[in-house]
Amino acid sequence: MSRLLTIAGVVWLEVLRRKDVYVLFILLAAFLIILLTLDVFGLGGLVGYVKEIGLLLAWLFSLILAVAVSVRQLPQEEERGTIFPLLAKPVTRGNVILGKWLGVWSIISLATIMFYLLLVWIVLWRGGGFGVAILGQAIVLHLGLLGIITALGILFSTRLNGDAAATLTLVVTLAAYLVLPRVPHLIMNEQGVRRTCLLALYYALPHLELFDLRRRLVHNWDPVSAVTWIQIVLYGVILMAMFLLLAWMAYRGKRFSRGVLV
Amino acid sequence: MSLAIEIKNLVVEYPSGRGVVQAVRGLNLSVPEGQVYGFLGPNGAGKTTTMHVLLGFIEAQSGEARIFNENVRHSIARQRIGYLPEHPDLYRFLTGRELLTMAGRLFLMSGRALKHRIEELLEMMGLAQAADRRIATYSRGMMQRIGLAQALIHDPELLILDEPTSGFDPLGRIEIRKMIAGLREHGKTVFFSSHELSEVERICDQVGILSGGRLVAEGVVSELVKGGESLENYFLRILL
Repeated sequence: MSRLLTIAGVVWLEVLRRKDVYVLFILLAAFLIILLTLDVFGLGGLVGYVKEIGLLLAWLFSLILAVAVSVRQLPQEEERGTIFPLLAKPVTRGNVILGKWLGVWSIISLATIMFYLLLVWIVLWRGGGFGVAILGQAIVLHLGLLGIITALGILFSTRLNGDAAATLTLVVTLAAYLVLPRVPHLIMNEQGVRRTCLLALYYALPHLELFDLRRRLVHNWDPVSAVTWIQIVLYGVILMAMFLLLAWMAYRGKRFSRGVLV
Repeated sequence: MSLAIEIKNLVVEYPSGRGVVQAVRGLNLSVPEGQVYGFLGPNGAGKTTTMHVLLGFIEAQSGEARIFNENVRHSIARQRIGYLPEHPDLYRFLTGRELLTMAGRLFLMSGRALKHRIEELLEMMGLAQAADRRIATYSRGMMQRIGLAQALIHDPELLILDEPTSGFDPLGRIEIRKMIAGLREHGKTVFFSSHELSEVERICDQVGILSGGRLVAEGVVSELVKGGESLENYFLRILL
């Protein structure tokens, strides 16, 4: 565990010193302040609008961070050659995968919690509010989603360069989030092979839409039942574990090219 | 005398285009504990590949490599090794002190012992003044020094150094030479590659010359080189 935390600590220092997180936090604050100056819907409407746009931005920025930071970790180690002194220590490749994931996920989660705190503060300041239970549920599921995307980014970056891994992670994430919920409607009108293919796609891809409770937050709906919420959390844990296992399998036999034939 | 490194019939191949390149061809090599062993050869001879097998980065197609009688595939073998890669490019966003702290923690060192060791190494490498500066601001020589310091953090029994003097000025090379001699006095084994044959001649107990993945000469320098011939001339005569 100590070795995992050490590797994760290096990821934290890298992210904090590259300042991506600060830039996105300032951007979120700037967007929200601009929204507050647009008082075209009246005060009540404005708070709902701020909630909706603020949550969308928090989701978007956390997604950008999760993809950008996760996909660069392994390729960067290889390109700079820092992987060699690291693996020369009593560290397994499984330690590297898990330590990197833990570092990326924990720092992105902290940034996301900061985004939520800023949003809650602005909404409260404008006289609005969030249900505490649904807010807690939404944040935990959001962090779970980031864990899945981070694991997916690390999985793709075990064999691809950073750019290719980022593209693939974004494509899979957006396809799973935007297209998958519409598949049941399509299946109703399909028969035979097409129906089977759509069903296979529906069950094979991760259902990321389950982790999105933004609509409930915006409209102050009741929290999700505890049983359903726990089931979604477990589903998230299984997906993360599966992607990390695949990442380890892809990484354990990998040959690093830099300097090998010198 | 027990062996620090033992390599038997090692073969390492790489896929290249449609074929296969043999980087190491049936290498046999033994390094007794407490010796300084110079691993020589032209570029592409297979020196770094052999070191990478010893460190468990790559697996050989056949043959066996052992460190202190432990198969190199087991990460426990790396507990006793310190490694400095050629042109070390370390985490540039860390300070020198942070890098050493990270390296020490990966060897499960902590607390006062780790702090003391870091200060000792920073002093030894002449980096005490630059310890809290980011590595990105270090010169090549300083980078090499901090790389060497991270390799020594856990006081390893075996040091594997890939071109340890590259990037050093003449004074720095003398310092490294003294350091290697000091390590030998403390009973450490040093296995290093170098193109600086005059240095190798001065500090090595034994040298091995690799060419095309094969060991073409091995022995004590004074026995290999006779009649006032320099190691450099011997090296060229063997390879040409």
